[in-house]
Amino acid sequence: MAEQRKRQPKVCDYYQNEDQFSPGVAFCSGCTLELNLRFISRVLGKDIIFVGTPSCSAPVLHGQNVAAWHRHAYYACTMTGVASSASGLTRYYQQAGIDATVVCHTGDGCAQDVGFQTLSGAAERNEKMIYITYDNEGYMNTGIQQSSATPYGASTSTTPVGRAARGGKPTSSKNMPLVMAMHDIPYVATATLSHLEDYARKLVKAKEWAKEGFAYLHVFCPCVVGWKIPTDSSIQVCRDAVKTNYFPLWEMEEGTCRITHPVKEPRPVSELTATVGKFKHMNDEGLAVLQGQVDQRFKVLQALCGASGSQ
Amino acid sequence: MPVQLERQTKVLTGNGAAAYAAMLCRPDVVAAYPITPQSEVIEQLAKFHADGVLDCQYVTVEGENSAQNVVCAATMAGGRAFTATSSYGLVYMYDAMFNTAGYRAPVVMINVNREPPGIHAVCSGQQDMISVRDTGWVQLIVEDCQEIMDTTIMAFRLAEDYDVQLPVIVNYDGYYLSFLAESVCIPGSGEVDQYLEVLKGQPPRPRLMPGDPMGCGSHGIGMGYVELRKKHMAAMERVKTKIDEIDEEFRGAFGRGYGGQIEEYRTEDADIVLVTSGSAVGTARTMIDAKRDEGIKVGLVKLRLFRPFPTERLCQALKGKKAIGVLDRSICFGWNCGPLYMETRALTPEIGVVPMLSFIDGLANMDITQEHIGRMIDDIQGASEGRPYQEVTWLP
Repeated sequence: MAEQRKRQPKVCDYYQNEDQFSPGVAFCSGCTLELNLRFISRVLGKDIIFVGTPSCSAPVLHGQNVAAWHRHAYYACTMTGVASSASGLTRYYQQAGIDATVVCHTGDGCAQDVGFQTLSGAAERNEKMIYITYDNEGYMNTGIQQSSATPYGASTSTTPVGRAARGGKPTSSKNMPLVMAMHDIPYVATATLSHLEDYARKLVKAKEWAKEGFAYLHVFCPCVVGWKIPTDSSIQVCRDAVKTNYFPLWEMEEGTCRITHPVKEPRPVSELTATVGKFKHMNDEGLAVLQGQVDQRFKVLQALCGASGSQ
Repeated sequence: MPVQLERQTKVLTGNGAAAYAAMLCRPDVVAAYPITPQSEVIEQLAKFHADGVLDCQYVTVEGENSAQNVVCAATMAGGRAFTATSSYGLVYMYDAMFNTAGYRAPVVMINVNREPPGIHAVCSGQQDMISVRDTGWVQLIVEDCQEIMDTTIMAFRLAEDYDVQLPVIVNYDGYYLSFLAESVCIPGSGEVDQYLEVLKGQPPRPRLMPGDPMGCGSHGIGMGYVELRKKHMAAMERVKTKIDEIDEEFRGAFGRGYGGQIEEYRTEDADIVLVTSGSAVGTARTMIDAKRDEGIKVGLVKLRLFRPFPTERLCQALKGKKAIGVLDRSICFGWNCGPLYMETRALTPEIGVVPMLSFIDGLANMDITQEHIGRMIDDIQGASEGRPYQEVTWLP
């Protein structure tokens, strides 16, 4: 593995690969999901099979009638059936002796809420596949409703800030990457689009591990419309999420946990929330609660890194 | 080299027969979740797999919804796939069943009939199959263990037929058939291979393969949707004659046949007819003979194909009769009668206005007895003679 890492191509090398997506696809201006999809495709190659579901990525991945916007093999299914459909594909390919990389690509709502059971089941069976969650912290496609990935305090269309309810979402988000790490699968990692070298390395590792078992990637993907941020700021928001330890970058490989991009002096989480519209209503008290949650989660992560023999 | 098995006769339960049949058809992928009274089917398949008799991927899923998605996807990748369920499990895979049918994925599924949720009944009843009527699946329902064996084999032949390409459910009554042990002839694996050989000579189905840019489950909007729906409907219609042909082929190959869509018993010279399905058919046949001895000219139609509904064959069988009774092991909310009755009644323009009687019996393991069926036949006979009758009768 160490030798392989030395020969790892750089992100600019992957950009020499042909883009499998057509130009002018129907994403919003400044959408990180589009970048995410094109990046996965460039790093993992044209032969991967995407499995997806109704979501923001659906019109682009599904195509409409006979028109498609990419050149990947693609399987669409219900939100409850992503990891199980992918299991069906990968199991048949194994049975028939066909070499294939099956890549699930779903939002946080599918992965953590309605499709959670099937994802957890596939992970427990250690199915040979990659599951990538693009986490935009809610149901952005259906109109910005809260999901179990929506953080404490965030305003969404089902946790709105009104005259009586000033607080936004009353509970914290599900710590999904950690939940997946507890499934004893060979590879779990977090990634985001401000740190593409880190992300590319994790994608390559996931592809290798998916030959042996389940690889899970959790990718922080701000939504310009749902989070009420300027269209040119989405990558900056990703960077701020890493700098504040709001979304630390780590991986767990065969049970060994490691922070892949340590932040020497983490910034207060208010530096992230100040730039994001969905947090604008939050007062100091609310921000202190959110900061407390971020700190607590990071401590757990550090403890996990220490306990599993890494730093 | 695939495992070869000789033809043999064994005492098998209905579940055992289903498992043997599925194994003989050599599925690439089996995915299932246990539920009473189906569990024995998947346990037996797991044993076949563990013993090396069945070379497949056996996926121990965490729920029926996943089972359905696994087999649908495996089939779309080009494989042959099998699952089995019952009742709560069937309704838990409801959304995925639309997927499978909409993708025209030729999955074969056993459904062991059991009452669905609501009034918790771990009991036989056909309400589960009725609840998935409009998902676009082909549905067959059978009478005994040998028919479970043979129809499951025929189901693979039907599902993967180039003119059909639809998922098929083989239904049989839970408890009455799932745990009933009978002598069953198990065909040799070579015979089954040969019977299914014809499928290999068909034009290949489109399949999802790495490096091949095919979308599976693309958005169908407007005319794209209408076109696919209409083609699905046309395929469904083709099932009717196809199942008759396949049944004949089967008779040629194995010496046993079941009449295809329906089986008629002493209907030719009958004045009145009882229509029913599933395990009650055997009891009904006995009572037809008994009532014939009393001088009542009664016949029986056993419904084997529930979806698509065998309208043409039923019309032929029922036309000119003086009164018709339909026995359901389920109910039809909204029409205050049995579902098969409602569908049979929809044939009135073709068969003419005659007294039609709905009998609801056998819910939640209530036995459909000879005495019950005798009463039904007497009621139908009375109605045919102009006596007043009750349209819907709940028994007992």
